[in-house]
Amino acid sequence: MSELVLETEKLDKVYELGRRKIRALSDVNLQVKKGDFISIMGPSGSGKTTLLNILGCLDKPTLGKVILDGVDITNVPEKKLYKIRRDKVGFIFQTFNLMPYLSAIENVELPMEGTKKSKDERRKKASELLKTVGLSGRETHRPSRLSAGEQQRVAIARALANDPAIVLADEPTGNLDQKTKYEIIRLLGKLNIGQGTTVIMVTHDSLIAAHSGKMLFLSDGKLLAKEKKGTLVTEKALRCPHCGRKLPEDAEYCLRCGKKL
Amino acid sequence: MGVLARALRNVSRRKIRVLLVVIALGFSMAIMISIPAGIVANQVAAESQSEDYREIIASMEEEINKTSTLIECRNSSGQHVSPGMPPGERAFGSRQEVFLDETVGDEIRSIEGVKDVVQFLEKTSEETISETMTGPFGMSFQINRPVYTIRGVSLNSSFIDSYSVLPTNITAGRSLREGDSRVVLMTSNLTDYFGVVEDGKVVIYGESFTVVGIYEPTGEGRTETRMAYMNVSDAQTITDLTGKISRLDVYAENTLDVDGIADVIEAAYPDLSVTTYKDRLENLENMQGNYQTTLETAEASLAHTEATAFQEIVIAIVATSLIVLVTMLYTVRERTKEIGVLKAIGFSNWNVMSQFALEGILMSLMAGIVGLVIGIVAAPALSSLLLPHVNLFSTTGQRPFRQTINPGVFQQQSTTIALDPQTLLLSFGAAVLLGALGSLYPAWKASRTSPMEALRYE
Repeated sequence: MSELVLETEKLDKVYELGRRKIRALSDVNLQVKKGDFISIMGPSGSGKTTLLNILGCLDKPTLGKVILDGVDITNVPEKKLYKIRRDKVGFIFQTFNLMPYLSAIENVELPMEGTKKSKDERRKKASELLKTVGLSGRETHRPSRLSAGEQQRVAIARALANDPAIVLADEPTGNLDQKTKYEIIRLLGKLNIGQGTTVIMVTHDSLIAAHSGKMLFLSDGKLLAKEKKGTLVTEKALRCPHCGRKLPEDAEYCLRCGKKL
Repeated sequence: MGVLARALRNVSRRKIRVLLVVIALGFSMAIMISIPAGIVANQVAAESQSEDYREIIASMEEEINKTSTLIECRNSSGQHVSPGMPPGERAFGSRQEVFLDETVGDEIRSIEGVKDVVQFLEKTSEETISETMTGPFGMSFQINRPVYTIRGVSLNSSFIDSYSVLPTNITAGRSLREGDSRVVLMTSNLTDYFGVVEDGKVVIYGESFTVVGIYEPTGEGRTETRMAYMNVSDAQTITDLTGKISRLDVYAENTLDVDGIADVIEAAYPDLSVTTYKDRLENLENMQGNYQTTLETAEASLAHTEATAFQEIVIAIVATSLIVLVTMLYTVRERTKEIGVLKAIGFSNWNVMSQFALEGILMSLMAGIVGLVIGIVAAPALSSLLLPHVNLFSTTGQRPFRQTINPGVFQQQSTTIALDPQTLLLSFGAAVLLGALGSLYPAWKASRTSPMEALRYE
């Protein structure tokens, strides 16, 4: 049995808006093993992003525990949390959030700043990561000179900079066109399968979620009991989420069932 | 890429904003450079003027002390009275120049309350030069004037030290002193006329004299400008006026005795014209008072200028800090999401704060350089624009006196601004500090931003 990378116990998150109390998460119990690729789905306001923020040490639960890579992060003071974010978590955002004034390679190097890696080591690692995400030769390009898909690839490389225990992706394909969406999901799948990267992805796109290893559903802050096994996308094949047919890389409609991908 | 490099990139990509801050800070810094430099220049100018004034006041005081006890006695048939007046018993010689017996001096010295009697023998030269004068209706005519006037003085060192018996503004050589014989102290006009320099020989009344000193006359009268001072005994010898004098300066022990002594002299020697210096004394005292007032006005004016300068510097500092503060706050607000991302990917509060503070300091450094350039180039213009001029004269704008001992003192000095490296360095440091202070709060605010909130910010 694979080791647990992330575990939550009875997570509750309550926001207070004046006199009103809004329960964003309620009794969420989650176990993520090393090498998992989990997508969390749910409608808007279901608590997806709240859960991701808590898992990524950006927010604290009102009740419950989060154990990340063996450390109970709920009790870690704010002053020390940045190290956990830096060393154990990689973030991928919907809007990429690259630093516009830095080149691709500098953006990837950014999380390594403050670690013990030397300048050369940082540069070498960033270069390897850009190669992994398919951006060799684009190291010196600024975000403004990269396409949306390329920017998200840089963001993925940045998320992997410190070999995090877990990568948290918040709607990583939300701002991309159909073709690029699949490129990105395929890249995440490749990293998950090829390098054993643990990924938790939040999305409300079931077609994209279907390409993860496991789909979880959140509704009104509660994690629903039903889980669905997805079809992991590999580099070589893209399968239709509806009928499971292998499809060419650039397909937009399933060749067997004709449904839109 | 380090914090510094990132800060530099950020500064360089927000050119307009940086330009605004740089200009604002730069001008503030220029003000900080110019105003203290202007103040220093004003202080130096005022100090120098005050020093001159104090010297004038002191010399007036000396003059007052010297002349307050003076009673000047001449024969009333002399040059100062109408030619038709009959000569006195003790007078003899020509109608223009009448002389007294030295014994009169001895007699006056025995009057109670008299401290000293200084004897002078003044005589014009026999040689004359012809001068063309222009009269009414453009008529011109020739007159003959004496080439020089000799003034024999009792060269007693206590007289020389205590009273104004010899000219003071020596331009070459030395003044006369006790024991001098066959030497003269003459005006530059005369040395020019004789074609001699210091230590040169001149022939006066057929006798050879050595020029020991040259002086600039303070008066403009013809006699004063062509005067040769010598020992009274030399003067008596060469003019064949042994035992004769032309003027007596009687000094009383006490100022209060002056009138009494003058009355006694007038009663005893009715032919003597006796002059006391009460009027001149009052005049001098008035002038001294005016100088004092002027000095006080200048000092008050300088204090006012300093107060204004202080206010302007405070305003400049506050305005600059506000501009930097607002600009940096705006920058932080604009970059909220970036701050959120930085914190999400593992930047500590300190990392975020140092980056924003560093950006502020970098802008201030650039502003500092710009300010230095503006300051150096425009310091005189800025300081004269921003500082009220130090008023060295009375409030009516009139100069207090025209007839001054040293008229040059009243030439208004043009303000020259001296920018010393210390002021420049201080202002530069102040500008950078202001920039740092102005960006400190926004940087702190940025570091405290919750990453979750920041990431949600659009």
